[in-house]
Amino acid sequence: MNVILSSALEQGLLYGFMVLGVYLTFRVLDFPDLTVDGSLTVGAATTAILIANGHSPFLATLAGVAAGMAAGCVTGLLHLLLKSGASDTNYGPKLLAGILTMTGLYTINLRIMGRSNIPLLGVQVIYDKVGAFLSLTLTSWNLILALVALALAVKFALDWFLHTEFGLSLQATGDNEQMIRSMGANTQLTRILGLGLANALVALSGSLVAQQQGFADVGMGIGTLVAGLASVIMGEVIFGERSISWVLFSVIGGSIVYRLLIAVSLRFGVNPTDLKLLTAALVVVALSVPTIRKKVVRV
Amino acid sequence: MSAPAPLGLSGLRKVFFPGTVNEVAALDGIDLDVPAGQFVSIIGSNGSGKSTLMNAIAGHFPLTAGSVVLGGTDITKQSEHVRARVIGRVFQDPNAGTAPDMTIEENLALSLLRQKRRGLRLGVTPKRREVMREQLARLDMHLEDRLKTHVNKLSGGQRQAMSLLMATVAEPSLLLVDEHTAALDPKVAATVMGLTDAIVQERGLTALMVTHNMEQALRYGDRLIMMHAGRIVLDLPQEQKCCLQVGDLIQKFHEVAGEAFAVDRMLLE
Repeated sequence: MNVILSSALEQGLLYGFMVLGVYLTFRVLDFPDLTVDGSLTVGAATTAILIANGHSPFLATLAGVAAGMAAGCVTGLLHLLLKSGASDTNYGPKLLAGILTMTGLYTINLRIMGRSNIPLLGVQVIYDKVGAFLSLTLTSWNLILALVALALAVKFALDWFLHTEFGLSLQATGDNEQMIRSMGANTQLTRILGLGLANALVALSGSLVAQQQGFADVGMGIGTLVAGLASVIMGEVIFGERSISWVLFSVIGGSIVYRLLIAVSLRFGVNPTDLKLLTAALVVVALSVPTIRKKVVRV
Repeated sequence: MSAPAPLGLSGLRKVFFPGTVNEVAALDGIDLDVPAGQFVSIIGSNGSGKSTLMNAIAGHFPLTAGSVVLGGTDITKQSEHVRARVIGRVFQDPNAGTAPDMTIEENLALSLLRQKRRGLRLGVTPKRREVMREQLARLDMHLEDRLKTHVNKLSGGQRQAMSLLMATVAEPSLLLVDEHTAALDPKVAATVMGLTDAIVQERGLTALMVTHNMEQALRYGDRLIMMHAGRIVLDLPQEQKCCLQVGDLIQKFHEVAGEAFAVDRMLLE
């Protein structure tokens, strides 16, 4: 039980940055962004190849984050090119832009790594460095504590950012784009930067996950968006959404609950390859509850 | 802050769906000079091009022909968000002018930043809050005590009053108002219209107000313009407009438009 709990905490926190990124696009920017399936991998791939080639894990992690940010900005630019006159609430160009970047990233990720899998065994990763710096042995609970500290730092930074002048414009771009445009904000640029930031967070997860599990794999990002959505929705339902500051906690909580569910399912003999279908079903149920509830109440 | 500026429109044309069976000239040669500080009411039947004119001035789409000059600057080629730094807008839909999932103070903070770069300083500051309270107090809706309330909790009238405040608080060179009371019940509509007039007068704003309501058009503003089929068919200065009745206006319309007048919502209001 202890093992299930600690591994769920660890995974939930590692993927928590990704969930924050998905929250930022899906809820704040109103942009269901499929780039994340590719940007998680691009973070992992960039970090892995740099570490394998003997570079510092800190530099490698930063480079992974930067690669994710670039991927997000590309999606924003593609959306700008593809939307041509479509209304602000038209999801077609948004989905297509993300799908195109995600597909292109598959090739790019293979090019970055040079092969489909890079093991990170017998090399120093970021956790070893931090552990050595604090002269701690790397137990799983120490790792969890370090991840909690990092998650809190990122949460508060994001919270602050969303309440800056630019951050408020970003929120308004997702909430009522025509209104903020009529206040003189360049919503195209705002959206591009927002997507960049979100995918930087997703890539951070990819980079940290790769270093924790000891390899980067070209297929590791598949299903990221759906897992992120499941975490966001569960977090909102379980922990509430009274304010943006609070929701940022809720979705990290949702990420942990989601990984806990997965760990428990695996423990009870669910086949790992069945998990994606289960997650998809979970998202369908969660997102359709309001619709179904309305129908039932009316009848 | 910028001062109210004169607006000059010349040869404005906007053709939608060119080259198709649906081709329509929504604006068919609009020439209009509005001196700084003038408040113009615009009426016209459905489809006469009133809203298209507002969108054209705001830069919502590229023009087919013509130019828009505001305060001596040709803004015809400027994109919508660039012009928005000096043009305030109030829309017909009470949901259009505010961000519903954000708080009153967050919305107002965004409107105070109209002419500024939006950087990485906190958006809502104690100093800005003070300005907001002061501004909200004049709406007389007690919104100054509810700064942290989400806008989606407000009524249509409260939202429209806020939109008005947000459009004008950073002192735009031009205010565009598009049937902003049409979706409100009569009593609230009167309140919002009164506020509009007070703010426009007090700040001496150059303003264009589209309305479906002839009473409103006659009572407010210093000039009245009637549009039909994408053209300005009647342009009355203050001296002529002040003594007209709704009936006279309908008569005028018959004369200039020269065809059966679509008796739409105008008569009912």
